[in-house]
Amino acid sequence: MRKNRIILVLVYVLFFFSSVQLFHIQQTNPVFEDRGRLVSVKMKTLTSGKDEKDLIKIVDSAKRQNDTISIAGIQHSQGGQTLYPNGVLLNMKSYNKILELDENKKMITVQSGATWDDIQRFINPRGLALKVSQSQNIFTVGGSLSVNVHGRDIRHQGLIETVDSFRLLTAEGKIINVSRAENEELFELVIGGYGLFGVILDVTLHLTDDELYQIETHSLAFDEYSEYFQREVIQNEAVKMHLARLSVAPETFLEDMYVTNYLLSDHQELLLEHMNLKRDSTIAIPKLFLGISRQSDWGKDLFWETQENYTKRLNGSLITRNNVMRSDSTFMDYEHARKTEVLQEYFVPVDNYESYIKDLKAMLLKQPEFNLLNITVRYVEKNEKAVMSYAKQDMFALVLLINQDIDQDSMKMNQEVIRKMIDITLVHEGSYYLPYYHYASKDQLRKAYPRTEEFFELKDKYDPEHLFMNLFYEEYH
Amino acid sequence: MNTRNFIIYQSTVGIAASIIFPFYILFLKNVGSSYSQFGWAYGLFALTAAFSYPFIGKMADKLGDHLLLAIYSWGMAAILLVFPLAYEIWHVYVLQIVMGLLGAIQKNSEKAFLARAVNKETAGVEIGRYHEWTSIGAAIAVIATGYLVDFLTIGSLFYIASIAFAWSGFYVMKFRNETK
Repeated sequence: MRKNRIILVLVYVLFFFSSVQLFHIQQTNPVFEDRGRLVSVKMKTLTSGKDEKDLIKIVDSAKRQNDTISIAGIQHSQGGQTLYPNGVLLNMKSYNKILELDENKKMITVQSGATWDDIQRFINPRGLALKVSQSQNIFTVGGSLSVNVHGRDIRHQGLIETVDSFRLLTAEGKIINVSRAENEELFELVIGGYGLFGVILDVTLHLTDDELYQIETHSLAFDEYSEYFQREVIQNEAVKMHLARLSVAPETFLEDMYVTNYLLSDHQELLLEHMNLKRDSTIAIPKLFLGISRQSDWGKDLFWETQENYTKRLNGSLITRNNVMRSDSTFMDYEHARKTEVLQEYFVPVDNYESYIKDLKAMLLKQPEFNLLNITVRYVEKNEKAVMSYAKQDMFALVLLINQDIDQDSMKMNQEVIRKMIDITLVHEGSYYLPYYHYASKDQLRKAYPRTEEFFELKDKYDPEHLFMNLFYEEYH
Repeated sequence: MNTRNFIIYQSTVGIAASIIFPFYILFLKNVGSSYSQFGWAYGLFALTAAFSYPFIGKMADKLGDHLLLAIYSWGMAAILLVFPLAYEIWHVYVLQIVMGLLGAIQKNSEKAFLARAVNKETAGVEIGRYHEWTSIGAAIAVIATGYLVDFLTIGSLFYIASIAFAWSGFYVMKFRNETK
């Protein structure tokens, strides 16, 4: 018996070390997927740094070993913009301190891994708010800069307009200041540069006052929207933020819209009462409706009606700027083995909106298989500061949520439809957003972004050895 | 093996199990990609256990509780070495089936041992004391692991639990001959 025990222990020790060894090998080549689970990439290692020294070390060591670096924040991009085969994945989330707040100048300096939520929690008690961010606040500042986001704000253009300066860890391993006055070329490249030009360290952003808004909602038809927007929204100084929805329900497909305007309230003295930051509300109900609308046409009709009625009920209610900029997205989280949900975003000049939607509708009606779940519409003012700028004119930005299977045939079918949609967008002098899956052709990229060649040439100038890499570059350079 | 030895044994396996099970969910979430897969993973565990109880029951009376407990301990020690290596959902399904079988062996043997060991008159007190100590061990383990997770990866938790199971297997085999 004693003998048996000892033999068992020896066998166990042998298995133990084999398992640890195998586990170690597996861990050294971790596989990462993009948010849409369409791209799966084996990377060399995952690393992160808490301070500048760590980050310099990571860059130096990658250079020495001829590795590439892919820089990551929350990683909600959908085409491998934070991934590259056999590269080092540099996760910036732990580099997230708030460094300085100048309340008089309304400027804040944060490390790039800080999220909008981190900043909001810090500035909200001081009566300050962000100028531009996504509608959701889960994203890091560095990631948002890299995709040059825009949101519901209609008065401050894209995020780039709110950036005062930042420091950049370059491919040479040096830290430089970047602003409109210093290294200006990099200012225009790094913002909307998808992490291809260096590691964004700390960022100084312009803030604005937190304000109390009154919600105003309104239903209209798609062909009334441009005029309505120009007359009632953009010319009305009181409107600070705006969001619209375009129906994807079969009964009202690409016809009906409703808008939500956020008007500066006449009762700013009530701000204090409303300034507690919202927490995630109950998501069970929107999740249920979205779930039903994924499956069926009647579900889509039901979802649209419910959303519209719910929004109407918000009419007249008060909300602070900070709370408008932290809306909930967890109800959209979708876990399914064979399906996924992808986003697309198209920008189209305000004046071309009506004809654009007509063309889009004519094309989509011939694609019954294409499962479009939601379209939101925002506004972004012309801003061509970034090399990869999408706002070549004053644009409406349409965000499309699409449910699709992940098998090869469905991918192909989706690609066909999406390329057609992009073509229609381009015909109407529009462009499309780049953080999503690389359905678009190279040619479409160059039409949407006329400075694409320059962008890739400057990549070679600032990073000749291609230290900072991702699948976006791989696909389109 | 007396009740005291049994409590030591059960506390050890209880602690080892508590180290992994709450965090095991995190692991499954990494591997699986939908809640239905999640449901299947646990369903297979429960189904295997259900179908194996009659067989295990018979075995317990034939082979003795000690041998089955040793099989459970070494089985768990071995399977936890495989767990960190699983990366496909079907790996998890297979492991869950084996774990279902092992789990059933443990549950049945625990009860069979107690039924044989305690006096009918004082069964309540004795089983109460048994649960007291094993539960304390499990509670401490869960709380401590919560802290450990911050420092260790989920992979290393599997290894720590595996070592604990191996020790329990080693320990329980010490007694086998004395009672048979």
